[in-house]
Amino acid sequence: MEQKTTLNAETRDQKGTASARVLREQGLIPAIIYGHKKDPVAITLNAHDFSEAIHHGGRLMELKIGKKNESIIIKDLQYDHLGKSIIHADLMRVSITDVVTVTIPIEIKGTAKGAAEGGVTVANTSALEVECRVTEIPEKITINIKDLEVGSHIFAKDIQLPEGAKLKSDPETLIVSCTTVEEAKTEEQVAQAEPLSPEVIIKGKKIEEGEEAQAEAKPEAKEKSKEKSKEKE
Amino acid sequence: MAMMPKRVKYRKSQRGKMKGNASRGNFVTFGDFGLQALEMSWVTAKNIEAGRVAATHHLHREGRVFVRIFPYKPVSKKPLETRMGKGKGEPEIWVARVRPGQICFEVGGVSEEMAKQALSRVAHKMPIRCRFIKRRHAI
Repeated sequence: MEQKTTLNAETRDQKGTASARVLREQGLIPAIIYGHKKDPVAITLNAHDFSEAIHHGGRLMELKIGKKNESIIIKDLQYDHLGKSIIHADLMRVSITDVVTVTIPIEIKGTAKGAAEGGVTVANTSALEVECRVTEIPEKITINIKDLEVGSHIFAKDIQLPEGAKLKSDPETLIVSCTTVEEAKTEEQVAQAEPLSPEVIIKGKKIEEGEEAQAEAKPEAKEKSKEKSKEKE
Repeated sequence: MAMMPKRVKYRKSQRGKMKGNASRGNFVTFGDFGLQALEMSWVTAKNIEAGRVAATHHLHREGRVFVRIFPYKPVSKKPLETRMGKGKGEPEIWVARVRPGQICFEVGGVSEEMAKQALSRVAHKMPIRCRFIKRRHAI
């Protein structure tokens, strides 16, 4: 169940890359709040407090902007190129009665039965889209894979979701599979199968049947014109 | 056998310049753990293959290794003891252009400790500084 975190925020007037960069240097994060058919508001958040709140699994937050209080959920986060620090946040206004679509991470528990028989467990999907009330956003979806045998799969439709949550992703989404790994090819086999240099794509169209006749006719026409020019001389 | 494209439009390419950071392929997508490049460089097909072999050997067919970079760029070289001129040399190696932030390798289906060990072996085969990272939780 969600715990509400309270954060302080300030509105900002200056927009654009340069001013956002200055804010980041000061330990702030530029963010925007939108939703509920109100005008979007550009704000700044304390980078440390915000990342701490996210780190502790907070999704529903209470923002104090001056004298106003707004309930928000995190809609999107932008990270820097190394994925270390948050550079921008999209926040959406919500009320307690709202039903929202959120992405919930999947946690896999246990060791598959097939792993002992030489199978490899691979998690194909790491998160699922779920529709639920704002106050009932689950922290994670736990899947137990103890009974997973070699060659068997777990799909999104097979998962038991927490109470009040409704699956929004495709029910046929593959979550976990246990498969056997093919034996690695020997160097000789690989060398035989692969060419030494790649094939070069040649420019130009393929000549079709109709065009072939035209292509044949063209050289004749050229020869005739040459003969004519000779006669003139 | 080293990786290279199956079909190309042009056999040879100009050397080009590399600028900036990786804006795509810079977070773990397929596996649970990844090896992220911290420097800019060409990574040859030989480097990539060596890394892949090192990881798969260490994992003993337990987990799964994903290679996120592909050497699509041909680098030509003139033969030894050849005078300058007479045109561009023949393609010698294939390289992937790697910029800071690019995830080069990913590992899935194993414990964090195991993945760390496997990816540290891969990092030793890379011509650049790399770091170990985990998959980011969905928001």
